[in-house]
Amino acid sequence: MTKVLLIEDDSETAEEITAELADRGFEVEWSADGIEGLDKARSSRPDAMIVDRLLPGMNGLAVIESLRKDQVRTPVLVLSALGAVDDRIRGLRMGGDDYLTKPFAIVELVARVEALLRRPAESRDTTLRAGPLELDLIERTAKRGDRVIDLLPREFRLLEYMMQRSDQLLTRAMLLEEVWNYKFVPATNLVDVHMGRLRHKVDGPNDVPMIHNVRGAGFILRTGP
Amino acid sequence: MLQAQIIRSNTFRRALAVTGAFAVFVIVLFGFIYWQTDQYLIARSDRMIARQLNVISALPGERRLDAIDEHLRQDSRGVQYAGLFAADGRRIAGNLEQFPPELKMNDSVQSLSVVRTLPTGRETRTIRAVARRMPNGDALAIGREVDETREISHVVGQALALGLLPAFCLCLLAGAWLSMRAQERVEDVNQHVQRIIAGDLRERLPHRDVDDPFSRLAAIVNGMLDEMETMIHALAGVGNDIAHDLRTPLTRARLALERGRTNATTMEQLQAVADKAVANIDQSLTIITALLRLAAIENSRRSAAFGNVPLHELLREVCDIYEPIAENKNINLRVEAGHLLNVRGDRDLLLEAVANLVDNAIKFTPEGGKVDIELLLGDSEAIVRVSDTGPGISEQEREAVLRRFYRSDKIRSTPGVGLGLNLVAAIVKLHGFRLVIHSGPGGRLEIICPDEQMREERPWLADERKN
Repeated sequence: MTKVLLIEDDSETAEEITAELADRGFEVEWSADGIEGLDKARSSRPDAMIVDRLLPGMNGLAVIESLRKDQVRTPVLVLSALGAVDDRIRGLRMGGDDYLTKPFAIVELVARVEALLRRPAESRDTTLRAGPLELDLIERTAKRGDRVIDLLPREFRLLEYMMQRSDQLLTRAMLLEEVWNYKFVPATNLVDVHMGRLRHKVDGPNDVPMIHNVRGAGFILRTGP
Repeated sequence: MLQAQIIRSNTFRRALAVTGAFAVFVIVLFGFIYWQTDQYLIARSDRMIARQLNVISALPGERRLDAIDEHLRQDSRGVQYAGLFAADGRRIAGNLEQFPPELKMNDSVQSLSVVRTLPTGRETRTIRAVARRMPNGDALAIGREVDETREISHVVGQALALGLLPAFCLCLLAGAWLSMRAQERVEDVNQHVQRIIAGDLRERLPHRDVDDPFSRLAAIVNGMLDEMETMIHALAGVGNDIAHDLRTPLTRARLALERGRTNATTMEQLQAVADKAVANIDQSLTIITALLRLAAIENSRRSAAFGNVPLHELLREVCDIYEPIAENKNINLRVEAGHLLNVRGDRDLLLEAVANLVDNAIKFTPEGGKVDIELLLGDSEAIVRVSDTGPGISEQEREAVLRRFYRSDKIRSTPGVGLGLNLVAAIVKLHGFRLVIHSGPGGRLEIICPDEQMREERPWLADERKN
């Protein structure tokens, strides 16, 4: 079972998060204090960590900094009420791997934790494969089985991102940040429209649909049945 | 108390210093004039002596005696001296008792003292004299008293010195007066400022249209107060805006939950109620986040995050992203960014600003319309123009449109909260750019980046003059 360490001082929030993660099959350890949390991180070796920034004892960023100094590479998701871009940049620079501002949707949190745990391995392959899909990263061409898919550059980038994280829930926020480098959430349903276009090209009328819309959460590229 | 203030004040001290310098200068000047006058008078006297010597020595021997006697007879003031002495020193003529021992022969005029016998007794006088050896061996000496010229110089000197005292007093008085005036103005300003501090924001510092430092300072402070008043009103306004626009979705959420709690019988009904509540709460959170961001940008000094932003690339990116959305509404979205222009700024914020404008343009333009994104080169400025064939923003609405939560009636049916243009305006202001909203037909908004921020990569591309 995947072990997640949650360092969060608000007990209600912590309960919600713990319950949700437990439902998804994670083993969750909880600490409400920075110093205690740091100890637990060192001793129990979790697979991923969720650290609130503002903590009693020792603040979240200091905890992460301390771990990184000791070469501990556990992926960390930083939670914070501080939402300014500068705060975000700081959080990531201090050693965090992802940053989520409060309030957040619980699906967003779970999607990002899973993304942290299943980060795509660094690969030097020039071809990317997921199910029947195949991308040539040098030529920038795409195929589904034998059928060539004609993609615009932005559609290629989107498909590449999804294939690297196949079978993972990808939230709209994640897609906006990673694919389009948007640090803000636009009012219009940008992601949906682009995803619609891509799906139209990837999932032909006779194909098994691979791109799915998870209601209220985001999108997922399923490689299996 | 007032005197102490006067003396202590900087103005007075400065006036005193100026007076001191003035006095020193005047004394030096007077000294110079005195010295020059003295020199002139002596030189004149010397010329007269020398001339007299020449005249008498040019005469033949016997005539000399007469000439000397005549010369001395004409001396009513008794300042002339003359003497003719034989080679052995015996006095032949003149009023000099003996040939002055210090007097050099055939030399230039020099100063020496002689003793003179007067009815009042023997007196020592300082004279300037010159002597020459005659062809027959006699020594001729001509001289003149110096004390007389000295007197003239003294008179001049005294007159000037007498003038110095009044000048000095005048300076002091002027200093005191200036100091008092300055004090008054400071007091006046202070009183106005006290009123402002007490809360009367509409108060302004008085200033005449004179170009003196005080007036300029007053004008600057007034400008600052204008800005502050606008901000404070805006903040106060925001409180009201927030109250209304947040309360509405929160009230809806509450109502839905209350009703659901009482009336819902099935799981689906309860879920529907929960969905509705969540949606409304999310709406409130969006508003809060947007307002916080606005405040952060409006008050920030995020120029630390500024870098080089290629505008042409940014515009093409925005066009690329919004292309499918425009296509869905059959809107022709076009970008024209031929000039390779860079500006100094925050790439994320600028992207957001332009995206907001394009988003609005597409949202408010009916089906089949047109949206153009252009990068133009004006007179020493870069212009990002977003225009559309929608209803546009009328002359009257131009100011209103930048108020929080304002949404024109023309677009009431479209989704949105009314903070988009606020955000664009805040971002534009942070960068030192200008946001210009043109009135119809259609929408036309421009972000104008002045020259100092801009660097063109390829200056040989053709200019496109602003319409």
